[in-house]
Amino acid sequence: MKPPFWTRYLILSMICALVALGVIIQMVRIQNIPGAKAIMAQSELYAGVKETIYPARGNIYDRGGYLLAGNETTYEVGLDLSQIVDPETIATVTTTILGLDYTETLAYARNLPGENSRYYIVLTDFVSSDEIEQLNILKEEYANRPKQKNEMRPSLAGLVWNAHTKRSYPEGDLASNLIGFYGFLDRKEGHGFFGVEEAYNDLLTGTPQEIYMASDPQLVEALPEIHAGASLVLTIDREIQAMTETVLENSVKWSGAEAGTIIISDPRDGSILAMATTPRLDPNEYWKHDEIFPKPTPFNRAVSKSYEPGSVFKVITMAAALDKGIVEPDTLFYDPGYIEVGGSYIYNWNGGAWGDQDMTGCLQHSLNVCLAWIATELGEKDFYRYLEDFGFNRNTGIDVAGEIHWPLRVPGDNQWFEVDLGTNAFGQGIAVTPIQMVMAISALANEGKMMAPHIVKSMIINNHQYEINPVVVGTPIKAETAETITRMLAVSLQEESSSALVSGYEIAGKTGTAEIPTEFGYTNETTNTSFVGWGPTDDPQFLVYIWLEKPSISIWGSDVAAPVFQEIVQNLVILLDIPPDAVRQNLTTK
Amino acid sequence: MKNHLLQAYRQAPWRVQLQWIGLFLLGLVLISFVAGVYLNISGRAAAAGRQIQVMENRIGILKREINDLATQLASITSAEQMRSRVKDTNLHQIDPNLALYIKVPGYQTRTSVVLAPPPNANMIKKPILQPQYTTSLWDWFVDNIWAAPDKPINVDLKVSP
Repeated sequence: MKPPFWTRYLILSMICALVALGVIIQMVRIQNIPGAKAIMAQSELYAGVKETIYPARGNIYDRGGYLLAGNETTYEVGLDLSQIVDPETIATVTTTILGLDYTETLAYARNLPGENSRYYIVLTDFVSSDEIEQLNILKEEYANRPKQKNEMRPSLAGLVWNAHTKRSYPEGDLASNLIGFYGFLDRKEGHGFFGVEEAYNDLLTGTPQEIYMASDPQLVEALPEIHAGASLVLTIDREIQAMTETVLENSVKWSGAEAGTIIISDPRDGSILAMATTPRLDPNEYWKHDEIFPKPTPFNRAVSKSYEPGSVFKVITMAAALDKGIVEPDTLFYDPGYIEVGGSYIYNWNGGAWGDQDMTGCLQHSLNVCLAWIATELGEKDFYRYLEDFGFNRNTGIDVAGEIHWPLRVPGDNQWFEVDLGTNAFGQGIAVTPIQMVMAISALANEGKMMAPHIVKSMIINNHQYEINPVVVGTPIKAETAETITRMLAVSLQEESSSALVSGYEIAGKTGTAEIPTEFGYTNETTNTSFVGWGPTDDPQFLVYIWLEKPSISIWGSDVAAPVFQEIVQNLVILLDIPPDAVRQNLTTK
Repeated sequence: MKNHLLQAYRQAPWRVQLQWIGLFLLGLVLISFVAGVYLNISGRAAAAGRQIQVMENRIGILKREINDLATQLASITSAEQMRSRVKDTNLHQIDPNLALYIKVPGYQTRTSVVLAPPPNANMIKKPILQPQYTTSLWDWFVDNIWAAPDKPINVDLKVSP
């Protein structure tokens, strides 16, 4: 009997099934042989790459939006050993364009791929875009050059470069003392040093994310959104900062001072408009730090160096006494030329006796005897309570790295002596930082409200700008007291025809000349000269603090620091669009 | 009679063979069709995946270029450069005594820069692609039919901006 037709199909199907079964058995067998796990593990290496993505470091802007710190593209140049065909050309070109060592590069380029487990060798890093452009042109030219018979065509195959970003400071050393710098040479562990770069390092850096990029396009997914680090908008104004630095440099040269510091703030909200100190570093070349700042030179004297401020401190003592009601502007004091406090005698700056003086006269003539008397009348308890209220026993909390404060010695401390009450009253025997003085005196210029000094105005996080609200850190004196002392200082400046006066603007201010403590006691051969002033007195919009260390041209603050203040304010009123008082009052009345 | 009737309704062997072949070919066509669709979809998915890689790379390059250009712009307009230009063009700072101040209604003095919008209530992050474009049919069934039978089925296909 003839078999049914489907038996042929059945046989054919069975053969196919057997073959398929054989394939399946073989597949299962291969997956379970002893080396299978190793092969699987190796295959995973090619399945994709895990990579840590470091977000771009946040930018830093001034209050006008000018970029102070950003990022620029730079390149790492290396050798892909498996692609190299012409080591000599690579060595020659990299020597010519990148300045690398010919012999060393040639030795690297002659390595065989896999030799010493090396497939890729980094030749150099932080190569500029211009140099890469030159390499690119040459590489393309060699690749497209027609090949002649029996001729070896030069080739840069195997010479590769990868772009990455590098911190860049387009303004050079402008405001470098408060910006700090980022150690970009260390691409993985780099972090900010000094200034806002250090204080806000975590925010600026952002959050690195580990991602997996599959080689199989079927498995590719969009990368998670990696936000750049937060950007900062500073309170400083680029033009005011540049002007301040120029004036400071000229002043240091002119006065023969060892160093200088100028801070300009807005007393109404504590924002710092400019902060200039010497020396300065171009953060694009931060490796010169140790050369420019030999120990113990601080990076930013305005926050990291304390000193005995001298007579500028008298405004604090006078404000405390006025606020407590111990004295009034017209209170008379007979100055015999000396006063005994705690068994020690205190004399005036010129050793003279000034006779009857009202309180404005005491400030105008900067009488140590008068201020020491005021402190004794105030009493140690109230005097030091006021100093603590003005913040002299702590850091101001300004948002730059490296702030310090000298401990305030108060009655009861081992290091405190009764005479300190007298000397502290005129700024000797007490050490402060310029930023502490700025914060304290902001209360006098701002109706008694002391504002926290700050550098960062707003932050841009995930494409949203967050404004930072000013903070009142205390009200050490009443508004009436602030107004009274401002008026007294304005009058005293005018009556002494100070070189700090600015035509058209009423300014309140005080000079300071401080002796410098040494191992052998105080010396009056070299001094610290200071000036603090604010204005316009009816609506204070700026506060300027100046400190010039050990000037050689004169030892007096009135000769050295006061003219610097005048120059600063003459420029400042233009940059801040503040019309002369008469014009402003006229415009306001209209 | 019975045999006769059976014989009357039986297909000719060549016809049965033809039906089997037809059935087999139909299966083959169906399988080929499914395989073709699968290949087409997976090919397009792979191409899209590759495009994503290329675009991610491009985004990275563009971000770097933007940063680079912003820094270059800042360099050529730096305070020092601008001072130099001022000097070259023979400009100088105004003498405050010669300045004329007038009141301009509505004039705003310099305010601090706004580089990004302030935070607001609309900050809740929305995915770029709506779930309708990313959820598979299977996920949709699991979410809407099996896992949450009580909930009304989400048929809102409006794409919010």
